[in-house]
Amino acid sequence: MIAISRRDTFPLAIAILAFAFLGLFLLYPLLNVFGASFLDRTGTHFTLANYARMLSSSFYLGSLSNSLILGALSTLLTIVLGVPLAFCLARLPIPGKSLLLALASLPLVLPSFVAAYALVLLLGRAGVITRFLRDSGIPFTSIYGMTGMTIVFTMTLFPFVVFPALAAFKAIDVSVEEAGQNLGSSRWRTFWTVTLPVVMPAVLAGGLLVFIDVIESFGVPFVLAEDKPILAVEAYKLFVGETGGNPASAGVLGVLLIVCTAIALLIQRYYLGRRRFSTAARRAPPELVVKPWLRRLASVYSWGVVLIALVPFFAIIVISFMEFRGPVMHPNLSLDNFRDLLNQSWRPLINTLTLSTAAAIMAAAIGVPIGFAITRFRSRISDLLDVIAMTPFAVAGTVLAIGLIISFNSGWLVLTGGWLILVIAWVVRKIPFNVRASAAILHQIDPSLEEASINLGVSPLMTFARLTVPLMMGGIIGGMVLTWVTVASELSSTVVLYSGPWATMTVVMFQALESTGAGVASAAATVLIVFTVLPVALIYRLLRRHELGMM
Amino acid sequence: MSRSFGTVRAVDDVSLEIQDGEFFTLLGPSGCGKTTLLRTIAGFADLSAGQIRFGQKRIDTLPPHRRNTGMVFQNYAIFPNLTVGGNVAYGLKARSVPEVQIKERVARVLRLVHLDTYGDRWPHQLSGGQLQRVAIARCLVIEPEVLLLDEPLSNLDAKLRVEMRAEIRELQQQLKITAIYVTHDQEEALAMSDRIAVMRAGKLEQVARPQDIYRAPATPFVAEFMGTTNLLRGTVAGRAGEALRIRVGQQEFCAAGKAGEGESVSFSLRPETIRLLGPGETPPTGWGAFEARLGSVEFLGAITRIELQIGNDTMLRVASLDVLPDELKARGRIAAAYDPRRITVFRG
Repeated sequence: MIAISRRDTFPLAIAILAFAFLGLFLLYPLLNVFGASFLDRTGTHFTLANYARMLSSSFYLGSLSNSLILGALSTLLTIVLGVPLAFCLARLPIPGKSLLLALASLPLVLPSFVAAYALVLLLGRAGVITRFLRDSGIPFTSIYGMTGMTIVFTMTLFPFVVFPALAAFKAIDVSVEEAGQNLGSSRWRTFWTVTLPVVMPAVLAGGLLVFIDVIESFGVPFVLAEDKPILAVEAYKLFVGETGGNPASAGVLGVLLIVCTAIALLIQRYYLGRRRFSTAARRAPPELVVKPWLRRLASVYSWGVVLIALVPFFAIIVISFMEFRGPVMHPNLSLDNFRDLLNQSWRPLINTLTLSTAAAIMAAAIGVPIGFAITRFRSRISDLLDVIAMTPFAVAGTVLAIGLIISFNSGWLVLTGGWLILVIAWVVRKIPFNVRASAAILHQIDPSLEEASINLGVSPLMTFARLTVPLMMGGIIGGMVLTWVTVASELSSTVVLYSGPWATMTVVMFQALESTGAGVASAAATVLIVFTVLPVALIYRLLRRHELGMM
Repeated sequence: MSRSFGTVRAVDDVSLEIQDGEFFTLLGPSGCGKTTLLRTIAGFADLSAGQIRFGQKRIDTLPPHRRNTGMVFQNYAIFPNLTVGGNVAYGLKARSVPEVQIKERVARVLRLVHLDTYGDRWPHQLSGGQLQRVAIARCLVIEPEVLLLDEPLSNLDAKLRVEMRAEIRELQQQLKITAIYVTHDQEEALAMSDRIAVMRAGKLEQVARPQDIYRAPATPFVAEFMGTTNLLRGTVAGRAGEALRIRVGQQEFCAAGKAGEGESVSFSLRPETIRLLGPGETPPTGWGAFEARLGSVEFLGAITRIELQIGNDTMLRVASLDVLPDELKARGRIAAAYDPRRITVFRG
């Protein structure tokens, strides 16, 4: 007999509710995606024919290799760019460091497909810079394809590497470096033989986040890939294709996507998990004293990288205030784009505001109790809960959306065509962040506070509601705002799931991209940027930057 | 009562009965299971076998928040989001005590711990000692069946620790409340307790009054853990009247105790019970005496710690009041005496 002690009833209740929610809206849809990929046309017999067909097509095999190459290339470049930046921020005197850190975290919350679109407007076939170059007689075609995508991913995802690396550089016990130099190693050699190896696990962990994000990305390749097949985009096209959806083929690509991200995640869990060097720094290492020219170089580099990463967003805001005649931009200031955007309908704007709010509240309501159960009650059940709550991280939005449609298109629970399916998809996608964030806050709260409350006669449930939640409030609000801004610009599952009246701002922008409404698209992008930067700026003090890193 | 902790039993067949109004201390090195035992009483650790009762009432079947124990945590666990008054009122609110009574009882208990005017302060404005008082007041106000204190003084500096331990003891006597106190500090345990339970690796070594624990330790572990002692090993050479003659190297010690001739025993002789004899001085009647070479001398002001070398392999620690190292060094060989009744013999 398994004895369940009274102390476990509360976490057990949380676990059951969490399993029910994630089981229904994550595992069941995923199972259906797997099912679709392994079943024949009649939907009753197991077959590998779908895989055989897809993997023998050089086009779809190309989409797999393109995605992997893109992921690897972007990971490499973010590391090359991010590690020196992290070192500069950790150990060198850079002017305006706190502002720089705040700006460096922005690309993580700003929608990357907006950056991709900005690149198109600047360097695309009819781009501002392209035309200028062509007019000046400099040969330049365009940045579509691998080059453009790699640039955008590097520019928007480098903070994934910078923040963990920065934390690691700061956690180094400086006496280890001093020991290296004391033993006769030069400062330069000490960096390569001591400092860098110690921070490498953190760098690789960040790099894996980049890799996964690239593989799962839908918006950036949709805007920039042109004729290069990319997994997430092809899965979408197969599923919503004009010739009628093909769930089996889409399912195969979806499964391939999950396999790629799952392998990356497993590498992180089992390889990096054992390679964490514990450093016992009592204080952050002091800033290095370096020659003025080196200091200037570091400042220019740091500010340069961060500002260049934000250029596309500035550019698109400026462009949105320009006059457009058809796809051609004219250098006159105008509010026409915004008028056109809202003339179509206010609905998308209202949808974005209300649905994002609903999703943020729901994600916190589910994520915080799971974070609590995982942190405070170590057991096999909470370990399993931990794994399942992290699963959405390995599932591309496109794939989750396809699964949700297959699962809830008919039968006992029909969700397609409504708003709830959008909110559910967003909540599921943001659960890993909400769980991680609340676990991080809980680690700062001494468990004896909760024990003291229970000891004084308050039940565990009421202790959680009256003591733990108020103590976590700052972090919970921070997490909700971050959830809000990221779901407000969520694209990959939204474009699959939205229907008629429930289009959001991202959908409007997406539709404008497909047609030639560059003016409306840039206006929609500006609205999204404002909705992202404003809330984040308002609560910046509440947020810890590492939370941004967990998005 | 026993509690399984994975496969290692943290608290093994501990059976204790604590009297009403008693100050009872669980003492032992870290990891001996004393905190686990305390947390089991509070309900934060599971009991795998056995029972816990308060009087006739069985409480180990109750959830922690129904046990009416008052626990003072090592780090105080003061709620940072509540004022001092809010912290103290917390348990009363959970018991749905009327607002008027809450006010009155909070004020009374704050007066008791000398924090009358601190009700509206926030925890971060308080010192360590004051936080400690809030933690105690918060528990006293709910009038618990038993006060559980988990190393409550370990985060205070040395001087404050001595003050607070007197204050806690005084409060406990004044209110006649039953208290179970966990500590690894033997001096604290001796100073505060009515009875002490010395624990080691989840088992009870001895339960007794402080003076008995110190003077008549039940095991060599207790003898060594309580203060410093000379723990010597020897063979029973015979008897001298009531006393045993125990041979250690070339030296023979007399000791009160029971053991057969030829038996190997160990015995404890406290450093402060050994008296140095001046030149020509004779030991008191009934005392044993020996001569030794002077080893190291450590002058600590009020007392001087001395090592005496007997024969080739036996070293005895002696603590003497008001002796100067120079006087000793001038003497060369030192004569010393001990009271055989102050030697505790352990068989086996």
